[in-house]
Amino acid sequence: MQMNRENAFIKWTLIVGCELFLALFLILPLVFIIQTAFAQGLATYCNSITDQYAVKAAWLTVKATLWAVGVNTLFGLSAAWCITKFAFRGKKIISTFIDLPVTVSPIIAGLIYVLTFGRQSFLFPLLDKYDIEIIFATPGIILATIFVTFPFISRELIPVLTAQGVDEEEAASLMGARTWTIFRKVTLPHIKWALLYGVVLCTARAMGEFGAVSVLSGHLRGKTNTLPLYIELLYQGYDFTGAFAASSILVLLTIIILILRVWLEGRGNKRMELRH
Amino acid sequence: MSGHNNVSEKAYVELRGVNKHFGDFQALKDINISISRGRLIAALGSSGSGKTTILRMIAGLETPDSGEIVIDGKVVNDIPGSDRGVGFVFQSYALFRYMTVYDNIAFGLRVKKWDVATINQRVKELLNLINCEGLEGRYPSQLSGGQRQRVAFARALAPNPQLLLLDEPFAAIDAKVRLELRAWLRKMITQLGITSIFVTHDQDEAIEVADEIIVTNKGRVEQTGTPRELYVNPKTPFVASFIGNAHPVENYDQFQFFDRLGEGTRAIIRPEFVSVFKKGENKQFVKSAEEGVVEDVIFRGSSLELKLRLHGVTIPATRSVNDSIIEIGETVDVFIHRLIVVDGEKIIVQHNKSLKKESVVI
Ligand SMILES: Nc1ncnc2c1ncn2[C@@H]1O[C@H](COP(=O)(O)OP(=O)(O)O)[C@@H](O)[C@H]1O
Ligand SMILES: [Mg+2]
Repeated sequence: MQMNRENAFIKWTLIVGCELFLALFLILPLVFIIQTAFAQGLATYCNSITDQYAVKAAWLTVKATLWAVGVNTLFGLSAAWCITKFAFRGKKIISTFIDLPVTVSPIIAGLIYVLTFGRQSFLFPLLDKYDIEIIFATPGIILATIFVTFPFISRELIPVLTAQGVDEEEAASLMGARTWTIFRKVTLPHIKWALLYGVVLCTARAMGEFGAVSVLSGHLRGKTNTLPLYIELLYQGYDFTGAFAASSILVLLTIIILILRVWLEGRGNKRMELRH
Repeated sequence: MSGHNNVSEKAYVELRGVNKHFGDFQALKDINISISRGRLIAALGSSGSGKTTILRMIAGLETPDSGEIVIDGKVVNDIPGSDRGVGFVFQSYALFRYMTVYDNIAFGLRVKKWDVATINQRVKELLNLINCEGLEGRYPSQLSGGQRQRVAFARALAPNPQLLLLDEPFAAIDAKVRLELRAWLRKMITQLGITSIFVTHDQDEAIEVADEIIVTNKGRVEQTGTPRELYVNPKTPFVASFIGNAHPVENYDQFQFFDRLGEGTRAIIRPEFVSVFKKGENKQFVKSAEEGVVEDVIFRGSSLELKLRLHGVTIPATRSVNDSIIEIGETVDVFIHRLIVVDGEKIIVQHNKSLKKESVVI
């Protein structure tokens, strides 16, 4: 009895504590963002988010995100597939390198690309000759975004593929199925939810990326500013309404992704239950 | 043991001097196997002895470091597994978990571009064969262990392979169903007449199901033969102690009418080598029997398993339940017909020396 009462006390303290914490650190700032965004009325808000620079920044963010998701889906699938389905030398090294981007600070990641493709690089004359702009241009931003979101998809896939083993693929190949058929019919149904989940995580991270992109962008308004960079710029210029209005776009996108994520997790779990 | 006794028929599957390493570890050492068409073969050996690797070699899922794999007279080392006419039942069944039973069985046929009507007919036929009509819409997770095993069997059979390979087909199934499935599988395979090799670590399973057994140990083939040959005439110490109910005896020369065959030799004794008589019951071996004491009697349903103490050694024996009752502590007459003597890697079957004299006396 005594024990139970004590447990109940701890339980409720923890619950209230967590809720207060969430309210203080998440809900309150969100409300504040929305409130500030609308502080000078709906019209100003609409003006802010339809500002040509805001639209361009949003568009660039979407573009970089799509690229990052596309490239990393392809890369993540191939890496996860070859790491889990084949035995080869250097497998350990590949799996370690995949995780590198999350352990490296985004600023460093940005600097790496500046050093690789910037004026002081031995590659620069070559790039210059063919008029390829990377640093302070859209390709740089895309590269940086790809880099920081590199492991997100493969890391979701590898455990699922490892757990599955290679038996089903071997069975299919013995029956004469080609690699592509095996992938489509046997492997893909198995990793579908993990893949979508990885895509969602990758999207979220790509949209919010600031550090690496900031180093590579050069902050050219309307050209190389992504949404996060644009928000920072407005904020530094004391345009709080503009900054928070632009933020509200990001928040909206994030909420959509959050909902997708919850839904996907639910679907994924249901499939798991069916299997066991 | 039903026999397709076509000894003259030439080998359908052959492994010639096959070696395989995984890194530094040699999993297969100079494997030579020859299997006639239509036979049901068991590869029997303890876990890690290389059985699965042999099967995977034949299927083309592993490539040998050296040696040849021959199927139907052709060296198939460079032919991909899918073109070897082989059906494979994986130990875990490896059913496609996101496909229905129907799609699982039809998979190989669709890959081979059979037309829809023929596929439909073939799948129906197989579902009927494995007694799984009505389950075609289920997913593997919705089947029992026995049903999964049979679906895996049907899937492997669907494209009409010439050779069926089964890796521990009964390992994942509970004991009662396992016995039924064994009999079922034996019947199926004999009926279809398809050359089959199955892997097992269970000697009862191998003896009961197979026409012929390949005994593997530490990456080598110890002996190949019918269950009876392995039983009566083991060629290596491993086979002698692995097959049957073997008890080691060190000082075997203390038994009457047996001689020590050199230093460092030991003997293996099996229950069926020993006859036990109640006092006065013994008519046949009056002079040559020795006295022993019954240490334990275990009821095995169809027979009694005895433990006897003789010259300070415990030896096994069996007795029919129809024989007169023997109690623990009773003194009995014991006659040992023969022993398997192990001398290094050699095997010598030593018969009781009195046997000739006795037969003369009677
Ligand atoms: N892919 C592999 N990599 C490394 N070692 C392996 C591999 N496959 C099998 N082995 C080793 O080879 C030996 C024989 O394996 P296996 O043929 O599976 O034995 P069994 O089926 O008789 O239990 C085992 O010691 C096992 O660890
Ligand atoms: Mg095995």
